[in-house]
Amino acid sequence: MPDSNSAADTSLFARPVVPVAGDDDAEKTARVALPRIAAVGGEMLALHVVEKAGGAPDKASVEQREEHASEAFAVIEELAAEAGVDVRTRVAYGTNVAATILDVAREEDASAIVFSPRGGSKWAKLLTGDVSDSLVEDADRPVVVLPTSN
Amino acid sequence: MADEELAKDLGPLAALTIGVGTMIGAGIFVLPGTAIQQAGWFAVVSFLVGGAIALLTALSASELGTAMPRSGGAYFYVNRALGPLFGSVAGWANWMGLAFASAFYMVGFGQYVQNIAGLSDTIGVAGFGIDPVKLIALAGAALFVLINYVGAKETGKLQNIIVVILVAILAVFTVVGSLRADPANLPESRGFGPMITTTGLIFVSYLGFVQITSVAEEIKDPDRNLPRAVIGSVVIVTLIYALVLIVMSAAVEQGFIAEQEAAGNIAVVEVAELILGPAGAIAMLIGGLLATASSANASILASSRINFAMGRDAIVTPDLNEIHERFGTPYRSIAVTGGFILVFIVVAPIDTLATMGSVLHLVIYGLLNIALIVMREADVEEYDPSYTVPFYPVTPIVGSILSFALIAFIEPRVTIAFSAAFVAFAVLWYLFYARSRTTKQGVLSDYILSRADRMPEPAVSAATTVKPDGGQYRVMVPLANPENQTDLITLASAIAKQESGTVVAVNIQQVPDQTSLEAARRQGDYDAAHRLLERARDDAETFDVPVETHTILSHRTFEEVFDAARTYDADLTVMGWGPDAHGSPGRAESAIDELASSLPCDFLVLRDRGFDASRILVPTAGGPDSDLSAAIAKLLRAEYGSTVTLLHVADDESEGREFLEGWADNHGLGDAELVVESGDVEAAIESHARDATMLVVGATERGLLSRLFTDSLVLNVVEDVDCSVLLAEKKRKRTLRERLFGSN
Repeated sequence: MPDSNSAADTSLFARPVVPVAGDDDAEKTARVALPRIAAVGGEMLALHVVEKAGGAPDKASVEQREEHASEAFAVIEELAAEAGVDVRTRVAYGTNVAATILDVAREEDASAIVFSPRGGSKWAKLLTGDVSDSLVEDADRPVVVLPTSN
Repeated sequence: MADEELAKDLGPLAALTIGVGTMIGAGIFVLPGTAIQQAGWFAVVSFLVGGAIALLTALSASELGTAMPRSGGAYFYVNRALGPLFGSVAGWANWMGLAFASAFYMVGFGQYVQNIAGLSDTIGVAGFGIDPVKLIALAGAALFVLINYVGAKETGKLQNIIVVILVAILAVFTVVGSLRADPANLPESRGFGPMITTTGLIFVSYLGFVQITSVAEEIKDPDRNLPRAVIGSVVIVTLIYALVLIVMSAAVEQGFIAEQEAAGNIAVVEVAELILGPAGAIAMLIGGLLATASSANASILASSRINFAMGRDAIVTPDLNEIHERFGTPYRSIAVTGGFILVFIVVAPIDTLATMGSVLHLVIYGLLNIALIVMREADVEEYDPSYTVPFYPVTPIVGSILSFALIAFIEPRVTIAFSAAFVAFAVLWYLFYARSRTTKQGVLSDYILSRADRMPEPAVSAATTVKPDGGQYRVMVPLANPENQTDLITLASAIAKQESGTVVAVNIQQVPDQTSLEAARRQGDYDAAHRLLERARDDAETFDVPVETHTILSHRTFEEVFDAARTYDADLTVMGWGPDAHGSPGRAESAIDELASSLPCDFLVLRDRGFDASRILVPTAGGPDSDLSAAIAKLLRAEYGSTVTLLHVADDESEGREFLEGWADNHGLGDAELVVESGDVEAAIESHARDATMLVVGATERGLLSRLFTDSLVLNVVEDVDCSVLLAEKKRKRTLRERLFGSN
């Protein structure tokens, strides 16, 4: 059979979307995701979602959060270069972070959404909403949670 | 829709709401009683005068906002136009003004809670009597700081609903109240003096409209919506305030307000109860809670935008603006602002909080109007507002004068002293902290310095003195020819070392016209370039100066030098010149003239005949370019212990000596050997150059560099002497657009 059925193409790690919240998160996630992506010769899209208030002032300046995103991307790009993985980056804007991640994954025809668990207390989740839960609940493609080593 | 478009999600109503919601707060819910007691029915005039001053500034803010829709608002415009000294003042005033105002809102919040809960005047805690109002204010402030710290996005939408409720409550109050109004009730006016003083007190009710400009980057179609929101919000709240004050003065009997104030009640609530019954009082109490809460919430949020913009310009440390990974909020900035608010609540009485908020904002408003005038007068190419202030220049001039003038009438007087101390602090902060860090120069000092010859001397020297020296001194060296590369790097490193700066070595690779730069980049085999830059790195590192190396692909090697100097933000470019140094410019002479007539930085051109800086000859006739040669001679002397000889050619020996002695002293070369000659300039230079190892010539005539590269040099002497020659040409005026916004 032709290549279309090869492991590389059907792998979850062929074209994953990897959401990153900041540089620490980017590093944690990249360390566990990149070896798997590299193993199947995949390429990744690093995605940062700027959460919009939707008709009210945002909690931080958009420019400020784009800067924040580029710091995270710089970490990803460096680690990806070391691992020999092609990486693209994208900043998306939306009032609902999980929905925006899913939209982008759909648009990009991603093989999976890959992230590492954020942890955090119940309180923090209550206050900010839990993106991981919504991602899993509304998923229209594989969602892969990679445990970080420690 | 492009992703970036989605970032702009504030419609016209949302933007208007920010202004109205921030302004309708403790100012109208707490202060009317005091205002009427102080000014009689002229309190209405106080609110109208406050509104008029705010409106003038709102017009200016609208124009600046449509021209520069950037995060940071008022601070950003002042910093751009007037430079970082005033930027520091505006930034600190805006930040602290918001913190004082938030503290004031929270104390107002405390009064309303106390009124609702019916708490006694003091609560005894461990033997100390604590004002419950302040206790509630502290708790409230902590709550709203926490909300912004974790960034509950729901508060934003809640704010919109709150504004609608507030406007509705006040509308019912004024409509029903006006039915009861009777001119006979009007408490007698106390005249102009108390009216103006009252304006100073209640001006804290007009601080919100500028916050709209601080979120300008999030507003849809800012060209239309920003002016509408800014001006509209001021007009709306001024009308509301005036009507509320009319009702409060005319709908209740004289003396009623004074009684309520004396009893420690909130006048607005008592009047509402009288007009509308218990329901009115309850509505007004709820309104007061919502209004003070939403004003404080919006102000805390706005202050973090100011912090961000200040950090972007390195006026404060950018570390303050770190974003929280989970919350997505500028948590440090919020926490620090929260700390200030709590301290202010504890240390200052409510009137001082209100007036500190007012005075600091009046400082910003005054500067903002001046910023507008500067942007217009300096004729900045990129300054293209879609909304323009009517009756320019009268509007901003009057706006600025009134803003500053109102400060003089503020009472308690101690507020003015405190505010002056804050401004002085901001100036010192700039001089001792920010000046060495920020790199942005204001339009004003550009304007003055670029017209140094026509401007009054004090203005020029003031502009030079406070100019930012941000970051380090950067010496760029374009490398082409391996032969003289070491000498160029040596020269550049020596200068960089003395200035504690950086050497930027660039290699410009010529790409044939038929090959696209993109293709050339992909082929990317530049071993030669790498070897060149590696050697440059080694050479510079022997001087222990930091080195950056860059390879540039270009179709035009010569012209690219000028672009690179801009791109890499060079303060000085050191380049070689001679047979096949940089190829010949591939363009007509006029094009080169154009390039070289607006040098992006100082240029030193080395005609290399062996680098030896032990005996330096500097001929001078004065002028800016010989200033540069003096500076270079001094740097080389510091590095190599060179002997420096200054040469001046004059018809009159004694006059010439007098000039040269003065010149040497002014340039820190008083101990150099001074030689005055008469006769032919070139012959004199030539004869003295025989004893020198290096000749440093200032390009006294404009455009020397361009003539150099087009072989039309008048000074044959450069070719006739045997030693190395350094030609020094000062940076030429760049367009304001380039300095202001960087080249592309």
